[in-house]
Amino acid sequence: MHKEAAIRVPLILGHKTYGDITNDVCQPIEGRAPKGWYILFTIALIIGLYGVGAILYLLGTGIGAWGLNKTIGWAWDITNFVWWVGIGHAGTLISAVLLLFRQKWRFAINRSAEAMTIFAVFMAGIYPMIHMGRIWLAYWVFPIPNQFGSLWVNFNSPLLWDVFAISTYLSVSVVFWYIGLIPDFATIRDRAKKPVAKKMYSILSFGWSGRAKQWNRFELVSLVLAGLATPLVFSVHSIVSFDFATSVIPGWHTTIFPPYFVAGAVFSGFAMVQTLMLTIRKAFKLEAYLHIKHIEYMNIVIMVTGSIVGVAYISELFISWYSGVEYEGYAFFNRATGPYWWAYATMMTCNVVSPQLMWFKKLRTSILFTFFISIVVNIGMWFERFVIIATSLTRDYLPSAWSMQYPTHTDVGIFIGTIGLFFVFYLLFLRYFPVLPIAELKTIMKSSGEYYKNLPDTHHEEGHEDDAHNTTNNH
Amino acid sequence: MGTTKKYWKGLDELQETSSFLEKKDKEFQQSMTIDEFFGNKSLNEASTGRRDFLKFLGFSVAAATVASCEAPVTKVIPYVVKPENVTPGMPTFYATTYYDGNSYASILVKTREGRPIHIKGNRDFGFTQGGTNPQIVASVLSLYDSTKLRGPRANGEEKQDWKKEIDTPIINGLNAVKSKGGKIVFVSNTIISPSMLAAIETFKTAYGTEGNFEHIQYDAVSYAAVRKANEVSFGKNIIPDYDFSKAKTIVSVGADFLTSWLLSTEYQKQYSLTRNPDAAWMSKHFQFEANMSPTGSTADYRSMIKPSEQAKVLSYILAKLGTKTAVPSDLRSDVQAIADKAVAELKKSKGESLVVAGANDVTVQILANKINSVLGAYSTTINTNNPINLFASEDEKMNKFAADLIGGKKPDAVLFYGTNPVYSLPNGQEFAKALEGVKLSISFSTYDDETATKCKFITPDLHALESWNDYQPKANHYAIAQPTIRPLFNAASALESLLIWSDNKYERLAKDSKVAYRYIRERYETANAGGTRFDMVVHNSCMDTEKQGASASFDDAALSNLKYTQPAAGSFEIELYQKTAIGVGLQAGNPWLQEMPDAITKVTWDNYMTMNPVQMKKLGYATIYDEKHGLNLATVTVNGATIELPIVPSPGQTLDTVGIALGYGRGENGTNAGPSAYVTKEYGGYELDDKGNKVPVGKNAFRITSFNNGTFNYYASSDVKKSDKPLYLIAATQLNHTVMGRHSIVKETNLDIYTSTGKEAYNPANVIGTHHGDKHVSEFDLWEAHPVENIGHRWAMTIDLNKCFGCGACLIACQSENNIPVVGKHEVRKGREMAWLRIDRYYSSDEELTTGLKKDRLDFDYNAAEIASLNPNVVHMPMMCQHCNHAPCETVCPVAATTHSDEGLNQMVYNRCIGTRYCANNCPYKVRRFNWFNYPSYKKFTQINPAQDDLGRLVLNPDVTVRTRGVMEKCTFCVQNIQTSKLQAKAEGRPVRDGEFQTACAEACPSEAIIVGDWNDVNSAVRKGSEEKRSYQALEEIGVKPNMWYKTKVRNDENPDLAKVQVDKVKPETNHEH
Repeated sequence: MHKEAAIRVPLILGHKTYGDITNDVCQPIEGRAPKGWYILFTIALIIGLYGVGAILYLLGTGIGAWGLNKTIGWAWDITNFVWWVGIGHAGTLISAVLLLFRQKWRFAINRSAEAMTIFAVFMAGIYPMIHMGRIWLAYWVFPIPNQFGSLWVNFNSPLLWDVFAISTYLSVSVVFWYIGLIPDFATIRDRAKKPVAKKMYSILSFGWSGRAKQWNRFELVSLVLAGLATPLVFSVHSIVSFDFATSVIPGWHTTIFPPYFVAGAVFSGFAMVQTLMLTIRKAFKLEAYLHIKHIEYMNIVIMVTGSIVGVAYISELFISWYSGVEYEGYAFFNRATGPYWWAYATMMTCNVVSPQLMWFKKLRTSILFTFFISIVVNIGMWFERFVIIATSLTRDYLPSAWSMQYPTHTDVGIFIGTIGLFFVFYLLFLRYFPVLPIAELKTIMKSSGEYYKNLPDTHHEEGHEDDAHNTTNNH
Repeated sequence: MGTTKKYWKGLDELQETSSFLEKKDKEFQQSMTIDEFFGNKSLNEASTGRRDFLKFLGFSVAAATVASCEAPVTKVIPYVVKPENVTPGMPTFYATTYYDGNSYASILVKTREGRPIHIKGNRDFGFTQGGTNPQIVASVLSLYDSTKLRGPRANGEEKQDWKKEIDTPIINGLNAVKSKGGKIVFVSNTIISPSMLAAIETFKTAYGTEGNFEHIQYDAVSYAAVRKANEVSFGKNIIPDYDFSKAKTIVSVGADFLTSWLLSTEYQKQYSLTRNPDAAWMSKHFQFEANMSPTGSTADYRSMIKPSEQAKVLSYILAKLGTKTAVPSDLRSDVQAIADKAVAELKKSKGESLVVAGANDVTVQILANKINSVLGAYSTTINTNNPINLFASEDEKMNKFAADLIGGKKPDAVLFYGTNPVYSLPNGQEFAKALEGVKLSISFSTYDDETATKCKFITPDLHALESWNDYQPKANHYAIAQPTIRPLFNAASALESLLIWSDNKYERLAKDSKVAYRYIRERYETANAGGTRFDMVVHNSCMDTEKQGASASFDDAALSNLKYTQPAAGSFEIELYQKTAIGVGLQAGNPWLQEMPDAITKVTWDNYMTMNPVQMKKLGYATIYDEKHGLNLATVTVNGATIELPIVPSPGQTLDTVGIALGYGRGENGTNAGPSAYVTKEYGGYELDDKGNKVPVGKNAFRITSFNNGTFNYYASSDVKKSDKPLYLIAATQLNHTVMGRHSIVKETNLDIYTSTGKEAYNPANVIGTHHGDKHVSEFDLWEAHPVENIGHRWAMTIDLNKCFGCGACLIACQSENNIPVVGKHEVRKGREMAWLRIDRYYSSDEELTTGLKKDRLDFDYNAAEIASLNPNVVHMPMMCQHCNHAPCETVCPVAATTHSDEGLNQMVYNRCIGTRYCANNCPYKVRRFNWFNYPSYKKFTQINPAQDDLGRLVLNPDVTVRTRGVMEKCTFCVQNIQTSKLQAKAEGRPVRDGEFQTACAEACPSEAIIVGDWNDVNSAVRKGSEEKRSYQALEEIGVKPNMWYKTKVRNDENPDLAKVQVDKVKPETNHEH
């Protein structure tokens, strides 16, 4: 058992027993869903179905249903794609990188952050598919043997790298998430009374029996997967940024993009985690497991990554001027003062100014303020992608081709729709999956639980035995 | 053992239960007796018998089997007997002549499997030397217009039988008129066909009683004043033959001689010859005009005057040359400054100058004649002895006829040929009403248009590509128009109809009638016995005869009678002009022309008033427009006619003037002017007005023309009243109008700098400083070079910016050659026009010394640079795929749908494209076009895209794929032509010759600004052109290595500031070298 200094703020408040943890996490799954869940689910479903309708309309009529033109080939589609991929970044960072760094506070958020990641990557994945003019040929992006002779994909294309990066990221994230869920599913299975639920959870838990051998393998696999996933945290968004960085378009062609995109992704991912966790915490009464300290930690991550992003913005501006390149210089001048200045201003305010407020302890420990900022950051990050992708395209080399981008109902509908769909998935997750990692939380109970921390040292051994009993019985 | 072994099918059998025993012997256990079965009433009611059922079953199985096989293959059935000259897959070209009353050109028609698919200028024969205009090139689509009349009409009803239902009643009617000595009026556009004139004579002899037959030639846009002025000046009612190629100084006062004025198809080529800065001399061109015209945009000096000031400018010049006239010659100082320069140049180049004037005003034209006479132009650049037969409009006669008709003095019979006075007369509406009362009225119109619908009979003429005709455009030139396809509809040549009605020796023989052909041939052979064989003339399409030398002496009495017309009341003067695409509206229904961006404003699908943006801002009009931001509507009222149009900013427009294009508003009141003459709704279908009529595109500006001093005038005065209506959305293909001081896109200098300094001054090499010293950008490479240099072919193109004046013939040629879909106003508004080739038009701004050159690099105001100058310099820059050897589009395609050929072409594989649009984003030139919808089938485009019409589809080039939804497309360098010429060369066992392969745009360019060829051939024109000191590559510094070179624009003007910058830049370098 890892020993933790007493002065560190405990991660689990109150006198929680192992049984309490199990009960607290399983309660929402086993009990009846509250009215609020049904209301939210219905709203999300309606919005999601509207989005599906918009997608079907798009697929039926053609990409012309979007507000794109000869100058601007990507706008809301790829903006949303990058936005969702960015959001999908935090999960793996939390589960993999923080796991490797032995950050115990991650247990309060990793399960739902991973779920968020997966659902966000689902949503992200929709866009590259539907943005194709001929989606029915989408499989051509895979290097599969074909009847066309030696026809092969173009390995020079960053879009192809995207295909590999996103699919790898999604599969590793899903596996990682699922492996973590197995012991918890087993817990639920053991407690389940209804036969259907029991059957379902027993299938989901892959016959987990909690033997030491299994726990040992579980730990090992988690570690190996964390090792695998860590580079992915950096690769995915770096590769997404290559879509732009390797191009010739001023405003896209920027070597700073990979680190800047990764930082931005973590930034927006944590903001989304904040938004979701603060809600769950309230709804599921998980204040004991996710308290001010956790929120503060996350706010610090937001502040740091936000500052990285801010520095990147300013470096870009400086370099565009310093380079003396006509087009580059104008691209950034145009961002700040051109017809889309308001998008740039929104981005700057939301992403550069707002995280700096986190320097104030009072603000970063305020739940309401955190919730507000988390939303602001996600708005800001959407605009960042819009500014980079669409604004750069609106005015590039030849002034004769300059244009404006106006979204259509289909653009907006699909974006809102993916938010709806995301929440459909997420609400289902909340209802049927353990939102906190039961097994993993229990591992920090002794070292970081408030009750145990406050116990005199001698009591430790006794307590341990008591609770070991609880664990096996899974009350 | 064996006997005890028991096999059983089930436990029931083993146990031998009673129920089993009961069922044991019944094969069909749930029994139904036959009676019961046939006793079922519903069975009897069913009509399907057993045999039928089996038949159906058999058929269904067979059908399903067949249907489940591959999609049915429709096989092309080869000719059993191959027609002469038609080889499937091989085009046949016919030389012929185009004349529609407004434009004239010798053309070549490309036909495939018997259908004309493309028109280009004939460079080998005819004085137009390959010059065409967009209307001529697009006329091939009008041939396939399915909304044309399919047969003759009598009293509004379509008839099948010409003889019985048309000819007989018409002949009877004419005889009745003749017997009572009634009056017959034959109204036509200018007829330059000798045969047609002879036929009219025959007709006159047949039915006209003395003094009671009148033939009125009436053109929609008249140049009657030119003829009148020449009558007064030289005693000859003619339009002389102008030769711009000999003019060192060209002064045009309001004449857009490159795209609309007189024989512009001829002048384009002549003018372009004088615009070569490498030649012994380069012309100096002064333009005084109100609207920015394509001609004005290419002038060296352009001065903004009001339409009413044309006479003043000419009078001023004349005064400076020593002849005072009664016409006032007071000019604003800015106009005077340029007029003084013009005078100085004119004096310098006596006898080698040309002064032309645009106004259809006798005084203006006499003044121009006098100037030319003073300068000795009548022995060099103007030939009055070889007159042009076009534009013989008799305005006075027409005006009187219209007045009489409206006034109740109606003729007994009236015929309309090639003219549409209801549309083009200022009092057309009254004319239409009066026309209804004429007993016998006949129109030869191919549409049930404004005039034709008011006539009792419509006897549709054939399209120019379906009929025989002969023309005498100039005194020394005879031309033939031959059919290139059998008539599509039950129409007949007007020549034939006239002959049949006047002489019963001619007989109707439906589509295969040879009346017109024989008549023309016989007339030719009688007149030219022993001369060139008729077949030879047909083959060449024309024949030149001896040209009279130029000489004329000006009769000064002409000057005594000059009348200066003061503009009528109104704070704005209105100049009516013709757009290169729409002209006088003859082909308003042609979607290619409607969608072609205007040469200057780049607006499509609309007419509008042009106003200087500086003035618009002062008056509070919106000046910025795009997909969602419209422009203010405003009204002008002239002689009681009110027109409401949006106000479009047009830099260079004279203050206090507006320009309105003619040729719009066709097909009012439920008449028909073709499918694209009407406003379509965003999601398909036509916009309808309260009466259920289709709403025409634009407004008819002919209503505000007027008749003054014996001619129709195309300028007016009015107040411009801003409307309170919501802003009007307009579809333009270019929304930003300046080049923002970007020097590597457009390069410009002037002749002095060009001749006195080296390339470094105006076209410096793109170098990057390294620690090894300066290196040319081409030395920096991320990729390995494509194996195109010095191996095999490397197709390349040069475009001379000095010769491009934006006429747009190339745009239509490209559209026609490459099956480019028409997308309609709403899609153009959204920036989704599909044109592979566009002409970027850049205005200079006050921040620039000249287009593309910053005044001050360090203190450059980008926002100010977006605003064009009051009277800017203009550059027209054709822009299409640059076929980069290091193409950014190629690397980013995930499925390698766009690849590089070993001949330097950037290829697009439609079949492989999945439509990510990454290539389009990564294209620095933004020339890639995406199929946002399925243009050949989506209902949104039914009204406008010819590919959705069974007949319109015939215009498609079978060598070029029609692209489907979701794929990217772009300029291919007309790769089908490359293949053809390569195969041809291979078959003949020789290398491809220089000039053998042409792109559609290069062929169409009247000034030959576009040259294509094999760059690896060191002797090719394109290679040599690319190595000229004016040649540069657009955006060379980004290293995409295009196979396209542009040639620096050289203006023949003085620009001391420019000289300071460009020449001074070179000086320290030269010092350094010393």
